[in-house]
Amino acid sequence: MLLRNVFTKSLWDARRSLLGWTLAIVAVGAMYAAFWPSMQSPEMAKAMEAYPRGVLEALNYDDLTTAAGYLGGSVYGLLVPLLVAVFTIGAGTRAVAGDEEAGTLDLVLAHPVSRTQLALQRFAGLVVSVAAVALGLWLVMLALTGPVGFDGVTAGEFAAANLQLAAFGICFGALAFAVGAATGRKGLTLGLSAGIAVLAYLANGVIPMADGLEWTRSLSPFHWYLGGDPLSRGLDAGGTLLLLGVAAALVAIGTVVFERRDVAV
Amino acid sequence: MADTAITTEQLTKMYGRSRGLAGLDLDVRPGEVYGFLGPNGAGKSTTIRLLLDLIRPTSGRASVLGTDPRKGGAALRRRIGYLAGDFLVDGRQTGHELLTYLGNLRGGVPNGRIDALASRLDLDLSRRIKSLSKGNRQKVGVVQAFMHSPELLILDEPTSGLDPFLQQEFVAMVREAKAAGQTVFMSSHVMSEVQQTADRVGIIREGRLVTVEQVEELRERAVRHVEIHFESPVDVAEFAGLPGVSDLRVDGALLRCRLSGRADALIKAAAAHTVVSLLSEEPDLEELFFGFYLTEEVGHVAA
Repeated sequence: MLLRNVFTKSLWDARRSLLGWTLAIVAVGAMYAAFWPSMQSPEMAKAMEAYPRGVLEALNYDDLTTAAGYLGGSVYGLLVPLLVAVFTIGAGTRAVAGDEEAGTLDLVLAHPVSRTQLALQRFAGLVVSVAAVALGLWLVMLALTGPVGFDGVTAGEFAAANLQLAAFGICFGALAFAVGAATGRKGLTLGLSAGIAVLAYLANGVIPMADGLEWTRSLSPFHWYLGGDPLSRGLDAGGTLLLLGVAAALVAIGTVVFERRDVAV
Repeated sequence: MADTAITTEQLTKMYGRSRGLAGLDLDVRPGEVYGFLGPNGAGKSTTIRLLLDLIRPTSGRASVLGTDPRKGGAALRRRIGYLAGDFLVDGRQTGHELLTYLGNLRGGVPNGRIDALASRLDLDLSRRIKSLSKGNRQKVGVVQAFMHSPELLILDEPTSGLDPFLQQEFVAMVREAKAAGQTVFMSSHVMSEVQQTADRVGIIREGRLVTVEQVEELRERAVRHVEIHFESPVDVAEFAGLPGVSDLRVDGALLRCRLSGRADALIKAAAAHTVVSLLSEEPDLEELFFGFYLTEEVGHVAA
């Protein structure tokens, strides 16, 4: 029964949005992946050569000659992680700040639930939601492997990429969750989290092109997520742990501040 | 059972520089119905949110069922039922979904209890909450506050939006709770809401407790506006100087005055004539507060 506790209730409340986001993200991923055979045509290769190197790098298209390179750029490099970030930032904001600004948090907190329990159970709901999206995308990629043929990208490598995608989503979800739990302000939370996501994206592809700013890449969750090239080299434990470690720290800080502060009317 | 259901000592809450509560001393006994009365903005909701540990005091202490709300945590809140005047919940769920969930958070409520309360209040639990009227939404709130028969009910302007019939049903529920030994702490800015149920009334103004009185005493002191229509013109002199009567104005067959305390003398004087109609307005709470305020000022000057 999904009305049992805060965790299951958060999944129950998110059921429609979760279904919608999963379908959208999987559809976008599948669409890009399905273009792979046409990317291999000589005409397309020529067309892509016409682009300046920097533009391609900014879009995460480092290597378009292999399936891993193409998928890493198109499916896993741009639209899908951005959609996942938007999804998790929204969910992270709703977990505390959205509920609080709607004035509906008081009632639950007047029940025998501690604030820490409430916050952590709702974050657990977010983690499960992101995992569901990543799992859905993984299954669709496996299903497409037969008809499209991603020469040599294995189920395990796809699993690694999707696991890291989930960790990436959890990291941004944790950011929005933490800002929301600490401040209780929805607009601020959305704005700040989205701003940091954009900066992180730029720090991975665009800013490092300037001389002397190469180091910014190592600070970007986009780099932690894709820098290890999971589609050709398998799971990047370092990057994944970094994403999850930052997420854990953010959740801990947000929850501690939430436990101590006043809940807004 | 603790000696007191709720105690606060110099409870103070500042919001930045503005004052929410300025040294509140409360004492609510176990098993009583305590009316917490005050104009809007006096600090009633601030007090209640402090008692529920939704906000933390700037200074001072509070004790609920013998425990500091901050330390009591979830275990303390299990023994409390809370209802806010504007009962806000996510409207996409049905009443049944919400109440099942809240019941589960409390570790389950007795079988059939939710349905029994809902049918008593004539509430349809199968409808989505956003499709309910304000009054029906408030009923969902009443059910969740009462369903686990808590030791202490904390009700913040509980009957706002309920129609008169349901207000009566609510009054009956509060009386039953009292009969069952439950303590009820109920805030309001409407006198009539508390006077039917409360044993004692605490009046708060500008973040401070002005007075605590038995409801009976308060009623005797309350000022009413009275209007009497006689069949034929009456003489002012007959009514001037009657105990409790002030601001007397007679305009032909129409008498208007303010009446404090018992109505007996005025009624007996009026009975000498043929009375067409008699209108006695609810004691005006604002005036009552103003009365206390004036008394205080005069007291200061005298001291």
